[in-house]
Amino acid sequence: MARIALIIGALAAVLYPIPLQIQGTTYYQTVGFLVFVNAMLGLGWNVIGGWAGQFDFGPQVFFAVGAYTAALLYVKLGVDAWLGLPIAAAVAALICAVLTYPLTRLRGHYFAISTVAIWMIAQPIGATWEYIGAAQGLFIPVKPRSNVVSAALSLQFAGPTKALGYYYAALALFALTLGLMAWVERSKLGFYFRAIRDDQEAAEGIGIDSRLYKVIARSITAAVFGAAGVLYAFWALSVFPEQVLELNWSTLPIMATVVGGIGRLWGPVLGAVILIPISQIMSTTLGTGPLAGRGIDLIVYGLIIVVIAAFRPTGLLSLPWARWFGRRRSALA
Amino acid sequence: MTELAQAVVNGLQMGFLYALVAVGLTIIWGLMEMINFAHGEFLMLGMFGAWWLHAGYRLDPLLSIVPIALVMYAFGVLVYRQLMRRVQGGDPFTQIFATIGLLFLLQNAVVAGFTSDYRFVNDTFLQKLGGARLTVSGVTFAVPLLLAAGLALVLFLALYLLIERTEFGLALQATSEDRDAARLVGIRPQRMFAMAWGLGAALVAIAGAILVNFFSVYPQVGLQFTVLAYAIVALGGFGSILGTLLAALLVGVIQSVTVVYLPPAFKDAFVFASYLLIGLLRPQGLFGRF
Amino acid sequence: MTALLSVEASTKRFGGLLANRDVSLTMDPGEIVGLIGPNGAGKTTLFNCISGYMHPDTGRIVFDGRDITHTRPERICHAGVARTWQVVRAFGRMSALENVVCGALQRTNRIAEARARARELLEFTELRGKDDMPAATLTLADKKRLEIARALATRPKLLLLDEAMSGLTPMETAAAVRLVRRIHAELKVTICVVEHVMEVVMPLSHRVVVLDYGVKIADGTPDAIVRDEQVIRAYLGERHAAR
Repeated sequence: MARIALIIGALAAVLYPIPLQIQGTTYYQTVGFLVFVNAMLGLGWNVIGGWAGQFDFGPQVFFAVGAYTAALLYVKLGVDAWLGLPIAAAVAALICAVLTYPLTRLRGHYFAISTVAIWMIAQPIGATWEYIGAAQGLFIPVKPRSNVVSAALSLQFAGPTKALGYYYAALALFALTLGLMAWVERSKLGFYFRAIRDDQEAAEGIGIDSRLYKVIARSITAAVFGAAGVLYAFWALSVFPEQVLELNWSTLPIMATVVGGIGRLWGPVLGAVILIPISQIMSTTLGTGPLAGRGIDLIVYGLIIVVIAAFRPTGLLSLPWARWFGRRRSALA
Repeated sequence: MTELAQAVVNGLQMGFLYALVAVGLTIIWGLMEMINFAHGEFLMLGMFGAWWLHAGYRLDPLLSIVPIALVMYAFGVLVYRQLMRRVQGGDPFTQIFATIGLLFLLQNAVVAGFTSDYRFVNDTFLQKLGGARLTVSGVTFAVPLLLAAGLALVLFLALYLLIERTEFGLALQATSEDRDAARLVGIRPQRMFAMAWGLGAALVAIAGAILVNFFSVYPQVGLQFTVLAYAIVALGGFGSILGTLLAALLVGVIQSVTVVYLPPAFKDAFVFASYLLIGLLRPQGLFGRF
Repeated sequence: MTALLSVEASTKRFGGLLANRDVSLTMDPGEIVGLIGPNGAGKTTLFNCISGYMHPDTGRIVFDGRDITHTRPERICHAGVARTWQVVRAFGRMSALENVVCGALQRTNRIAEARARARELLEFTELRGKDDMPAATLTLADKKRLEIARALATRPKLLLLDEAMSGLTPMETAAAVRLVRRIHAELKVTICVVEHVMEVVMPLSHRVVVLDYGVKIADGTPDAIVRDEQVIRAYLGERHAAR
């Protein structure tokens, strides 16, 4: 059952933009792009938040680190995205590890605020540091690429297939992240993270160095956020502090993860697939026309979130899907 | 040197206002351990309420504290009963999620009703005293801010007495320490939580009504105060009302001293850098019971 | 024979309360030592100091030749000490099998090997068939077994059982005692048992240590302990001491 759903989902994801492309609309591909970016961020956040169970509201800092690192490498040294991305992800993970280790002495809410603290400190640094462009940030010039493969590897799509290219790039990165997270979940790391979440002291009693594994968890999150940041940078063609350090880069993935099911591998995916299109639809139908600029779309969005939180706090994955689909099948038989 | 002293004095006065902003969160988060991302939105509603009453009915913000407090108390209770009660038992992240949704709702409801334009109140009682100054040994106190700080301190002390000296306050503390034990002595936890939310919302809205004399009013004004309030409550040590006051004063001073030497963009960064430093040296906050 | 564990004049104070005062004891490899005493005598504090969750203010703790006085709990587990908890602490959201796998991962990095070992230990602790149940849904007796299985998965040389029998029915208690005996006999683990139930501790232990108000008041064979004047006085009060 799950396997069938997976195959259908994968096919849908791959085929989805093609009819739209033929038609000429690119808006929905961009929506899809955003879905996969947020799903990827949600998968990343799920490691520190869902599996290791730590409150983390600061990973947008590493999103920015990734974006800036890759942008700097490209602008100053001509390093293309395919190489810049892994380097940026590694840099993000490293900085995260160094910053987080001393913070692991703090527990629960105190740790949460410390993650916010790093974000608050990063903002003026980003806005005033001349080397990375201060408030103006960095611009990423588009170099003409000779063929599709070259364009894909440098994340620089242009022309009529631009949105399509970014869509597939996001899909590919998302799929890669999903695979990696599935592996982490089944590995020693996955077990240790969840042990720390369930009972940190008991985990220490069976030999788990909780500080070390919290750092590892957060660094994995940082690497994913950094990679997503690179993707975003080359899509937006510019990196500036107000944009890449925005709180939404963590609150949206967190919400997607909670809606879908926190701590479950597919939770963030389900959540992103539901929330992002809703917010986009709200924005285009209720946010334009006579009610434009009145935030009606966001009111409805907020209402939906509140209702889901109130009536299905464990996330939508925890609904009895198997029972529903099982019943349907036996009804046919 | 007097520039520094002046900054400290200004910071202390702002600190009293911050204390009033943060103390509502001390009750909700520190005592009840419920996360509220929408705390700043209650403040924003208080500010808008004061502005609206002033623009429409010429009611001075200081006087509108009473109706605003009552309305927001009821609103806080409503939010608890309809939303927070349902997410209380579950994952803390669901509480976060729920209150983020509330944030979107409240902020954009105000945008829908009033647009995102910046608004100001003019000619309020405190603002009319704008020129008056008090100078004590080389340090100047602007009378409006001084009076506002004084009012905030009085309200803060009133709350302190409420929590520490009245039966209601003790019941609240009891419920936060051990819900079941509280039940055994006849306290109804649900009622306590609802009242705590009402009280928390009312307090921060009152702070908003006072702040309207000094800050411009717009729907997005809340988030900066939410973030600051969390830092203050954590610095002070959860659930410690006295700790909240001291932490708020500290934050006010750090902000104003930082601005003397660095661009204003850094003032909050320094507050949080101090938080990290203090947090690493004293993980349970200044007065926390860990 | 050198002692496996040597606690030397360990003192631990909490503000005004002296939880452990100058406590010294040793455990030899292969022993089962009972640690008893009235409530508040300092038994759990001693366990916490041995397992690294607290550190004595003065004194020393030596395990297997290593000074572990100021070592963190995870390193002490690595050295060969495992413990269970007075209030049972299983990883509620993980299955029984996953709980024990976490323990087994202390000694191997391979998941398959850890799973195999976990299944063996679940068999050994008679939790057969409950592999995939979420730990939070198990009965108290089963949760305690699970905690023991998880601790055993770390291949300890010394196992500290903190009131492993409390809250159990007489039948469950008898089964738990049998388990402790099997652990001792088949896995060759040195065991220290904190217990309140005399009928359990006395027959099980080779040696019994008695704490009262933070001080060790007796240390000997079960037979000697039940006749010890100070012990009787501590448990039953002055009036009974003369008998």
